[in-house]
This record gives sequence, C-alpha cells and structure tokens, in this order.
Amino acid sequence: MMRLLRLLNGPHDLGQGRAFWSGMALLAAAFLAYPAIASSFAASNVAYYLLNIPMALGLSLLWGYGGVLSFGQVAFYGIAGYTYGIVAGNFQDFAWGTAAGAVAALLAAGLSAAAFGYFVFYARVAAWIVPILTLVLALLLSTFLGLTAGYQWRVGGIQLGGYNGMTGIPALQIGGVTFQDYAFFYLVAVVVAACYIALRVWVNAHRGQVLMAIREDVLRTELLGYDVRLEQLRAFVLASVLAGVSGLLYVQWGNYITPSAIGLQQAALPVIWVAVGGRDSLLAVAISTFLLNQLSYVLSSSGNQSALVIVGGLLVAVMMFAPEGIIVGLGRARWLRALAPWRSAVGPGRPGHGE
Amino acid sequence: MASDAAEPVLRAEGLSKRFGGVVASDGIDFGLRRGEMRCVIGPNGAGKSTFFALLCGILPPDAGRVFLKGRDVTHLPAFRRVRMGLGLTFQTNRAFHALTVAENLETARRASARSDADDAHFRAAYAAFDLAASARRPARELPHHQLQWLEICMALRRGPDVLLLDEPTAGMSPGETMFTADVLKTLSRDGLALIVVEHDVAFVRKVAETVTVLHQGAVFAEGPVEAVTRREDVRQIYLGRAREPAT
Repeated sequence: MMRLLRLLNGPHDLGQGRAFWSGMALLAAAFLAYPAIASSFAASNVAYYLLNIPMALGLSLLWGYGGVLSFGQVAFYGIAGYTYGIVAGNFQDFAWGTAAGAVAALLAAGLSAAAFGYFVFYARVAAWIVPILTLVLALLLSTFLGLTAGYQWRVGGIQLGGYNGMTGIPALQIGGVTFQDYAFFYLVAVVVAACYIALRVWVNAHRGQVLMAIREDVLRTELLGYDVRLEQLRAFVLASVLAGVSGLLYVQWGNYITPSAIGLQQAALPVIWVAVGGRDSLLAVAISTFLLNQLSYVLSSSGNQSALVIVGGLLVAVMMFAPEGIIVGLGRARWLRALAPWRSAVGPGRPGHGE
Repeated sequence: MASDAAEPVLRAEGLSKRFGGVVASDGIDFGLRRGEMRCVIGPNGAGKSTFFALLCGILPPDAGRVFLKGRDVTHLPAFRRVRMGLGLTFQTNRAFHALTVAENLETARRASARSDADDAHFRAAYAAFDLAASARRPARELPHHQLQWLEICMALRRGPDVLLLDEPTAGMSPGETMFTADVLKTLSRDGLALIVVEHDVAFVRKVAETVTVLHQGAVFAEGPVEAVTRREDVRQIYLGRAREPAT
C-alpha cells in the first residue's frame, strides 16, 4: 500500500506532495458535489468533456512516455463503441447483458490492438511510419462502417446503419442501477479518476520507466536485455483499451455512434488534446482534454462553424511557441515553481541536488 | 555452469560484413577466455565498430558465426545475447537522461530474470565509482565521466560473463582515464572477461595483456600488448597515423 502511494506520488508527472494531493482531493470533491447544484443537462455536458480523457491518457502514455505516435486511437474507440452497441443491444433484456457488452467492448479493443500492433511492432516498422499505419486503420474502419447501410448489415437484431450509424444503444445497467443522467456523470467521473491514478502508478513503476527508456534510446534499452517490441506492443494495447473505455462511455452518453466518430477529423483530435497540454504529463493531458472538449462543445453548440479551425489553430500555435505543451510548459517554468506550494521531487533548485 | 576453462567464453569464426563495396569485416576469427581483458585497437575505419556490432548482434553478419559460452548465437537478436550474459556500452554515452541514476540502474537490473546472475562485479564498480552519492539525481545532471561510469555499472548490473566496452574513456581527463583503467583491471582480475575497443594507447598499455589490431576489416596482429605495440608495421598503420602514444 505504501509502495503504491509512493509510486502515485512519483516524479514522472507534474505535481507531488501534500499540497498537490490536497488540491486533487478538493477537485474530486467538487466533481462529487457538482450534480447537487447542476441540472442533469449540465452534468451530462460535463460528463462529455470528461469522457475522452481515458483515450487521451492512453495516447499520452504511448506517445509522450513511449515515443510512439498513434494517429488512429479512434479506431479502438470505435471498435469498443460498436461492439458495445451490438452485444448490449442484443442482450439488453438480460440482467447482465449491458455489463457483458462493456466487457466485450474492451476485449474487442484490446484484442484488435494486439493483432494490429503485433504486425507493426514485431516487424520493427520505423517510428515515423506508425502514425500513418494507425491512421490508415482508422480511415479503413470508418469507410467500411459507412458502407454498412443495407438491411443485410446487421448482427442479431442490431443494424450497423452505414453513415447514419447505430442508434438506440442502451445505457449500462449493473444490478438495479441504470447509468443515466446523474448516475452516468458519476460513472464517468469515477472511471476517469481511476484511469488517471492507475496510469500515474504505471508510469512511475518499472514498466513506465522501461517505456521512457525506449523513448530515449531504443537500442540502449534493447541492449540492456529488453524485448523492445513486446514493451511497445504492451503500451499500444493498454492505450487502445483506454481508447475503448472512452468509446464505451461515448456510446452510452449519446446512445448512438456513427462512422464519423472514427473519421479523419476525430482521429486528429486526441493528438491535439495531448500535444496542447503536454504529451509527457498525464495531468496536463487530462486538463487540456477537458478544456478543449469544453471549448469545442461550447463553440459548436453556439452555432460557431469554426470550432475545428480554432482548435487546429491552437495546435499550430502550441507547436510554434510551446512545443512541450502549454500546461507542461507552465508546470515546469521556474518562475511559477517558485510560487507553487508543491514542487517536483527531482526538480532543479532543491538543496542536496546541486553539484 | 562452469564450462571448460579453455573454451572461449566469446568466440567469432570468419565474421564478415560488407556495406556496398566496402568490406567492413573480412573473415575475423576471435576468441576471448574467461577473465581475459582484451583491447581491440586500429586506426579510424579499421572496422572496430562493425566488429563490435556483429559481436553483440546489432548487425547481422554476411558470413561467419558468433558463439557465446559455447552456444551459437549468430541468429539471436541482441537482447537475447544480453540476457545470456553479454553486457555492453557504446562509444557515445547512452544512459537515460530523463531517469535518475538509481532508476537507470534499476532499469538495467530488471531487464529480465537471470537466476545465475552474480552482481559482485557490479557492486565493486559501483563502490569504486562512488555513484551512490548521486543515486537520486537525474542522469542528465551528471558530469560526463560519471555518465560513462554509470553506463559501465548499468552493463554490469545483471552480472554479465562478458563485458564489451566501446571507447569507455572517450572524453575523460587523463586522471579519470587512468582511474577507470584501474577499476576495469580489478574487475578483470576478479574473473570478468572484457573486450575494450580503444584509441588511447596509454590506456591500452595500462589495462590489457593481449591486444588485437584490426586493419581494413581483418585481424592484422594479435598478441601481448608490449610486443604488438612495438612492432614497426603496427606503428606504421596505427600509431603513425593516429596521435602519438602518450607514454
């Protein structure tokens, strides 16, 4: 237990120490209390801003910590979403039908990532080709699903629906609880918090360090005796299951999914969320994903057609002026650290760490 | 596990490698006994780095075979050779700068479970290089020579049978170089087999008993360090072209 807490507080993310975790506890309490003051519509919106965080955290692990950029995490988001729709839709009359759908969705995302990743990583494909291959996977899947409009494209009683997508996807039901409205908000908040905590432990534990070692120097890591292919595949599968978690939450939020959720625009978004916050910090990625989703949602629901242009412009600006990411840049700025009550355990300027 | 002491712990047979028209390795035969310390020298472009890469499996040979502890490892990927008992460092320092010294060593230790590993050599080197004082510092903050020492300790962490060092003292001051030589010599005396690819002849004279001279991808001379480095033809191809030996 102490070991887990030590790993959780480890140096490979922004924010350590009592003050930081007290702030996080306050934030968690604020989320817990939010439904008491918010309408169910507002809570549902906040749930939407939160639900993409697991996918973004997975990409942060893979790209920021592991140095492998995937441009197609939405493929696994879609695979999980469609699988849940099919399994839960067919078995929703059974008590555990939707829960089985959730398990099947995550399994489908993980297994398809394992199969695809095996060919990519065990072929030792050059690092710059991986984003292209993953993007092609997402586009192929999206195009294929767009072609499934006819009545013959059904699984059990569920239509795939072509470009109109799959509709009427049931909410998750466990025991007597149906996760709708406020209950869905709590489900999303708990899942997101659990993903963050688990990944933060992961990056500070041995497997995370190996991943960072591979990012820094593939050959050096291999010549310590690591099977780099296996380590990269493991991170890819984990990231893809997390994308599946987001897909699973998304289809319960809107009760539908269309192929455009896996299309080119959507494929680019996780990369933007992760890059804008700062790809090698889970916390920064979680914050930027929340804020950018809120920004896009507010812009597009107020009738602004240029939401994607604005978010894309933000990416260009970040790449030019703060390539390590806005939040990571702020978090590591010396002048800000001096003011902050918490500081990185291995940060500069601490006594005992000088020459 | 103690095989015949006469059996070389690392052996190469007719190792050849060409890059386009350039023959980088031309049928190299090589053997290293347990507890032996061998220096591999040669002028720039003699094929030292290629030979090094063929031994550890970074490059596949066009012809020839490599044996580690009597087993043919020619077709094993590099990480499997490392797991069998090969440790190595590179010409340029490649410790993980984002990780602390302790994390670097922990990453090296946990590369795989090796039941027969004996970390006595590691402990000796770790103490001699006094890295414990910097254990919690990120590697990027270490001065150059300590980074080199850290890499040697990482290579020793899992108790290899053979240590391959590619110019381990590059960029060190003369004092640091001689100190490193002393530590490596002690390791060798305690039974570790070492191959050191080196330019610095003062260093080579200090540490090695036998030396292998590579020239144009082939073994040009091999034998006791004093005799070989005195040979006129060796001086011609190597010492004459490179800087004068710092005697």
